[in-house]
Amino acid sequence: MLVTARLKERALLLIASTYFLTGMGTIYLVRPVDNKGLFLTAAGVLILAFFALSYLWQHLDFSGNQYLLPLVAIFSYTGLIFLYRLNQTYALRQFIWLLAGLAIVTIITCFLRNYNFLADYKYIYAVLGIIGLVLPIFWGIEQGGAKSWLDLGLFHIQTSEFVKILLVLFLASFLAENRLILTKGTRNFYGFTLPGPQEWGPLVGMWAISLLLLIFQKDLGGALIYFSTFLAMVYVATARIIYTISGAGLFLIGTAFCYHYFEHIRWRIEVWLNPWPYADTVGYQVLQSLFAISAGGFTGTGLGNGYPNFIPAVHTDFIFAAITEEIGLLGGTGIIILYLLFFYSGFQLAVKAKDEFAALLAGGLTALIGLQTFIIIAGVTKLLPLTGITLPFISYGGSSLVANFIILGLLLVVSQEYSDRSRGF
Amino acid sequence: MAANIRKLAYFLTGLFIILIIYLFYLNFWQGPVLANHPYNKRAVALEAKIQRGTIYDCHGVVLAKTVAQGGLKKRIYPQGEDFAPLIGFVSLRYGHTGLESVYNQELLGISKVSKLKNFINRLARRPQTGNDLILTLDANLQHLARQLLNNQRGAIVALDPKTGAVLALASAPGYDPNTIDRLVNLGPGKKITEFDLLKKDPAAPFLNRATQGVYPPGSIFKIITLAGALTYIPEVTHGTYNCTGSLIIDGFRLTDHAVHGEVYFQQALAVSCNAYFARLGLALGQDKFYQNALSFGFNQNPGDGEKLWREIYLPGKIPPPGQISKPELASNAIGQGQITVSPLQMALAAAGIANAGVIMKPYFLQEVRSPNGKTLKKTALKKWKIATTPLVAGLVNEAMRAVIERGTGQAATIPGFNVAGKTGSAQNPQGKTHAWFVGFAPAENPRVVVAVVVEQKGAGGIVAAPIAREILRAALINR
Repeated sequence: MLVTARLKERALLLIASTYFLTGMGTIYLVRPVDNKGLFLTAAGVLILAFFALSYLWQHLDFSGNQYLLPLVAIFSYTGLIFLYRLNQTYALRQFIWLLAGLAIVTIITCFLRNYNFLADYKYIYAVLGIIGLVLPIFWGIEQGGAKSWLDLGLFHIQTSEFVKILLVLFLASFLAENRLILTKGTRNFYGFTLPGPQEWGPLVGMWAISLLLLIFQKDLGGALIYFSTFLAMVYVATARIIYTISGAGLFLIGTAFCYHYFEHIRWRIEVWLNPWPYADTVGYQVLQSLFAISAGGFTGTGLGNGYPNFIPAVHTDFIFAAITEEIGLLGGTGIIILYLLFFYSGFQLAVKAKDEFAALLAGGLTALIGLQTFIIIAGVTKLLPLTGITLPFISYGGSSLVANFIILGLLLVVSQEYSDRSRGF
Repeated sequence: MAANIRKLAYFLTGLFIILIIYLFYLNFWQGPVLANHPYNKRAVALEAKIQRGTIYDCHGVVLAKTVAQGGLKKRIYPQGEDFAPLIGFVSLRYGHTGLESVYNQELLGISKVSKLKNFINRLARRPQTGNDLILTLDANLQHLARQLLNNQRGAIVALDPKTGAVLALASAPGYDPNTIDRLVNLGPGKKITEFDLLKKDPAAPFLNRATQGVYPPGSIFKIITLAGALTYIPEVTHGTYNCTGSLIIDGFRLTDHAVHGEVYFQQALAVSCNAYFARLGLALGQDKFYQNALSFGFNQNPGDGEKLWREIYLPGKIPPPGQISKPELASNAIGQGQITVSPLQMALAAAGIANAGVIMKPYFLQEVRSPNGKTLKKTALKKWKIATTPLVAGLVNEAMRAVIERGTGQAATIPGFNVAGKTGSAQNPQGKTHAWFVGFAPAENPRVVVAVVVEQKGAGGIVAAPIAREILRAALINR
């Protein structure tokens, strides 16, 4: 079982590598690019790094899920292909960040295999998370309209990307402990059983934190992800739809409040409703994105043959528009389906996890990635208001990439327990 | 808890399915609108990469080509002003107009046919080239037409009635499409592009008068009235009418320009008797009068939904029957009421007479040719309208010969050829009459139809007929 899983993993990695080399090769042929040798070397190194990790796991007897790594490889390769085509400087940096991400996954899967202790530090997560959110408000720098970066000299770090993980860790440990009370409720209120303030406190707390993020960091996307992940996890823990509905209602009220008092929120919503009057200003980006997506047609303009560079920030938030322009609806839908496969694997290991903490952790992390993917794709296609967040594993961005690889590592260690148990341990 | 996780998974999957459906909606329903939106810079960027095709006349004379000038591609028009109102121009600043706009896809080679070819070119790092257009127009004839107009406001159309091929289509005043982007100094510190300057010109040089002019037809409309009367009231051929110089209809007095005495239909057309044709109109009645005009192509585009006809053509206009009074109907019958036409509309009507009742669908584009000379697309001949029967067409043809032989159109006589035609002097609110002429030659086997209008220059027989004669003569000798 153990060896077959790793063999299957490498077979899938082989497919992903072929995809990667085809994409890089196409751009090599059709685009005028410099440093061709450098990029071919980088591509080779990355392919080898993914394979090496699989061999290392086999050697160390690691029994994690065999589908997650190949899927992440495909996402990473897609990102690198498009960054190579859009902006080579970013492609090179992304390559470095990908290696860093793989290193982190290696560390987690080698040294944190026994992750049970993670359930014991919930208040540390809360404190760290709040620090992570508050720091940029005072010492942060503004980038792309959101004030959520810290300048560390060598590079900028977006703390909210890591706070996401702390949030899931906190909620998983908190809910694993309190879910029964939350489910049943402790007091009766006009026929409804409701929990006491110590149990619903976190809900209001989360709401406040999300609004804080929204107002002070101007990070609508971050707020949306935090709050929706929170609601998803509360639902998983309690199965009480009333929490989810009242939570969503609270969020809408908060947004309505911000719509009235904060200009940057108002713009986002007005542009979403009708971008044409703002075509030269705040609506420019999303309209260029719509032009790009619709230019692709069914099969796309062909890799390297579209004009995705008309979209500002195409390498980060808008990379999905570039993908659909050049590889079409077929390519865009393909990427979405691959994400669905990733979420399927994630939720499946949550369903079969050994305990409630593990289930909530895996379910929460999967929901986090899933909601983030949905929110950004819906944003660049104007199905939802645009929010500045990254497409997991594909968009350019060091903080987001490293954070996502941490999530991959955590999912892998959770999946390993399940495999061990199924082998009769 | 496993059940809750499953429900969450279903919910998320549902969201993504909505997303996929929405993506398809965006592409297939919104796609065409977004692709043509002026804020979408893709079309311009795509064009900049492609060597635009050359436009030739029917003898291979270059009408428009793209040359490289200091790294920039520039569109040049060797024939200067001659073809400007029809072919239009290509400008980075102002986009494209005329046939340059209508056949943009062909000229860029971005129609479906050449997609694969372009892909191969790209892989091979060869410059992408568009396709060439061969037009039906004749540069010599076009140049002659422009010279004959001599910068007077007006237009000339010549076409082949057997095929519908347009041979010349001139409109004056014109403009030089080569210098449309050039800056003109209007005193210190005041610069304006030639385009903006022309746009303000009251003579409307951008208007293609030949296809989009809105003129009262005057007496040239009588050929249509006559065809209608001969179709619906055959006994007209036998009757005569005594013209006393005026006609009173419901108390409204319609004056003729002369007392023509006893006239029958040929004679009436030859001398252009208003009273006779007003009575024919009344005899037809408004319904048949309207039906007849429709069969000559009024109120209709030669190509329904085709970009070409939608963009460059205004069909002749005739009000639908219903609220038309008898005096109005009488005026309409002599081309002086609510009827308006373009020279191309009248050329098409005359082509219906010349071609035994059948109006062929007019066209400008002979074929689309790939850069290596292969024919990609050829215009197929198509009947457009059955204007009338061969019998009626023959009778009108004879009457139109009488116009040239002994009537108002004698100035259009060409020795050695039988010419058929009709003159018109259309009254208009602006001042002197518009001089009109429509006709064709040789009358027994017509090869060329011509329509001429010169704005506010007086009588058609004096101003327009000689111009038409020169066009017919040149076209007959060359073809």
